[in-house]
Amino acid sequence: MVKIHDAAVAFKALNGIICVYKPPCVSVPQVQHRVITNLIRDLNALPDRAREQRVEILGPTNGPMTVKLVPNYADDPLVCGPRYIREDFRCSWATHLGLFSSGILLLGINEGTQLTYQINMGKPTRAYKVHGQLGKATDTYFWNGRTMERSGYRHVTRDKIDRVVAHMQAAHQKTMFQVSGLHMDSQSTYELASQGLIRPANAKLPVIYGIKCVQFDPPNFILEIQAINEYEKFLWTLVHDLGVQLKTSAYCTGVQCIRQGWFNLEHALLRKHWKLEHFIDNMELCHEVLEKHDNMLNNKAANLTA
Amino acid sequence: MNSLKIILRRRNSCVLQCRTATTKKKIHDPKEEEDLPIFQFPVSKSSDRRVYVWGLAETGALGVHVSHGRGRTKKSNSNFQFAWHPLRSSFCEKFDVTKIACGYGFTVAAVKTNEQHKVFGTGINTDSQIGYHAPRMGHPLETLLSPAPIYIPYRSLETKITGLAAGRAHTLILTDNEGVYTLGNNAYGQCGRKINPKEEYRGSMVSHNIKTLGRESIIDVCAGQDHSLFITESGKVYACGWGADGQTGLGKFDSQGPPAPVTGDITSEKIVKVASTADCVLALNDRGELFGWGNSEYGQIPMARNQQQVNSAYALVNFTKGLGKIEDIATGGSYCLVCNDSGDVFVWGFGLLGLGPNVNHTPKPKQIPPPLFGRNEFNPECMVKNVACGIGHLAAITDNGNLYLWGRNRHGCLGLGHNKDQHFPLKVSIGAHVLEVNCSVDHTVALCKPFV
Repeated sequence: MVKIHDAAVAFKALNGIICVYKPPCVSVPQVQHRVITNLIRDLNALPDRAREQRVEILGPTNGPMTVKLVPNYADDPLVCGPRYIREDFRCSWATHLGLFSSGILLLGINEGTQLTYQINMGKPTRAYKVHGQLGKATDTYFWNGRTMERSGYRHVTRDKIDRVVAHMQAAHQKTMFQVSGLHMDSQSTYELASQGLIRPANAKLPVIYGIKCVQFDPPNFILEIQAINEYEKFLWTLVHDLGVQLKTSAYCTGVQCIRQGWFNLEHALLRKHWKLEHFIDNMELCHEVLEKHDNMLNNKAANLTA
Repeated sequence: MNSLKIILRRRNSCVLQCRTATTKKKIHDPKEEEDLPIFQFPVSKSSDRRVYVWGLAETGALGVHVSHGRGRTKKSNSNFQFAWHPLRSSFCEKFDVTKIACGYGFTVAAVKTNEQHKVFGTGINTDSQIGYHAPRMGHPLETLLSPAPIYIPYRSLETKITGLAAGRAHTLILTDNEGVYTLGNNAYGQCGRKINPKEEYRGSMVSHNIKTLGRESIIDVCAGQDHSLFITESGKVYACGWGADGQTGLGKFDSQGPPAPVTGDITSEKIVKVASTADCVLALNDRGELFGWGNSEYGQIPMARNQQQVNSAYALVNFTKGLGKIEDIATGGSYCLVCNDSGDVFVWGFGLLGLGPNVNHTPKPKQIPPPLFGRNEFNPECMVKNVACGIGHLAAITDNGNLYLWGRNRHGCLGLGHNKDQHFPLKVSIGAHVLEVNCSVDHTVALCKPFV
């Protein structure tokens, strides 16, 4: 970890993207606010540049005058306020995470806001761990909703859940063609399709590439979902649909983003590490990842690469 | 005092009346959840099957003749011509269907029962291929819109149906210990009996029984367009019917009445499966080697002398070198389709082969790219287990029970919601684990197992 001695040097280093772990029930603007607040707090606590001096020329104008340097109180933090304030920072997210989701969140700081825009345009895939519970359906499809129905789930086995999930995955591969904006009769569609997966043309329509049940401990289960353009509610409804297909009911108990493009949980900073030194370290780490996989930025390829 | 009380009471009621609704958000009672009953949704048995049908419904081959949907008017009722998407067959909900076969515009299904009626048929019945059905004496029906039982004179009611096959206008019914019953058109001997040129097939009540072939019982049947193929216990193949393209494999081009053993390279092999939809035949032996005979106009059975009709079985071992052990075979109107033990699919011949719009002919077996069947980095073990062919469309079933269809989309037989041709495999939306698929000229039937 680098030791930082000067606030001005540190501020200049703060241009890029950081990868933080968003806790559930905290909104993305709140995370941004917390990050910026912590940055300001840490920067202002660092040894600052010297206070500016004021030149005072005293004495009668027709005689010899005395020139002296006096401290400039207008530059004093006690007068003009702290050196670093909220307006000094721009901050934007690469892809949005819903209020109740937790997991990886890429934030761009100052010049890094352009990077987040490019990552957003590149539409990276995201992987989720979606936790669900069988035997209960709620009106919001999530734990915060009102219970609408309860049902038995003793007949559900790992084998059955795997079969339904594999079927859902195959069904989504068909929608992949529909949202790719390709003409089904063209040779280029065939060539793209025979290479593998195709990315959606639109930024609105969710496409799922992989669903897998990674843990089944009735009534709880965890699905691992890889998708593009998905949003929180979409994942909740997916759990609900799975419940219906399994002849029972299910609701979502949690959504965790575990991968975004080439960023995974190892890169993410926990809330206890949201400090200046960690941010600067993390920024370097993120840049290494981006340099290694530059197809994350402004990706225009039609087939799925990251 | 009393009057005062009354006034007060009135005032109270007035106050209560003024309060009508609350704008406060209602917080639901957490105890409410415990009061809810626990539903137990019905779960299917492991032996339950679901049947989905799609394609041309006008012939009655789907056995569904009411329109689905909300706007069920008289007009739409009589106008139900096509099933664009897979429809669940209601007939198969009432009976335990074990086998299904699709002929040209008709479908036959075998049900598990110890009663007389074990096989049901629906669709075109011009040659009595699905039995004799007459609402009035002497006026047999030529089309059936919903399934009706086919009368077969079984010797014992305990007999089980173990196989079904249907050709252009004939049906083969294989039983476990009574041999094969054949119905329908015998103009070329496809029913395995002597050809009578003056026979009238409309309204015919004839069913023919082939007990054994070469003193061996029959274990599998297959029907081509106008010919029939039988496999006996020891893996011998017998054929009868039309032979103009050599599809009977008997070394001649004449029609054959009673079944005779196929000649050529398969005489010493143990054949486990034969496939034929139109006039080209593929046979698979127990070691996964391929043999073929019949029509070769599009290079389905490539011979050294470029023959267009092959009239005796020919080993395709050299031709299919490098494909591995072949697991399943199918032939269509002008192409052949095979899948091997590692789940790869190969196709050769002419037509919409699933190799993109630019390729319509390939003389050598060419692999259809596995990503099209769902093998990608998220599902690397995906394998194709079964293949099937109609005259113009092709089908493959993966180990996950997903059905992929491609080819000519005549009357919407691909079930994709339109009648545009499909140039590469695309999954059909069926909400069940597909076990078996039967393709015909213009309709398709899938036998599936419910997930739960």
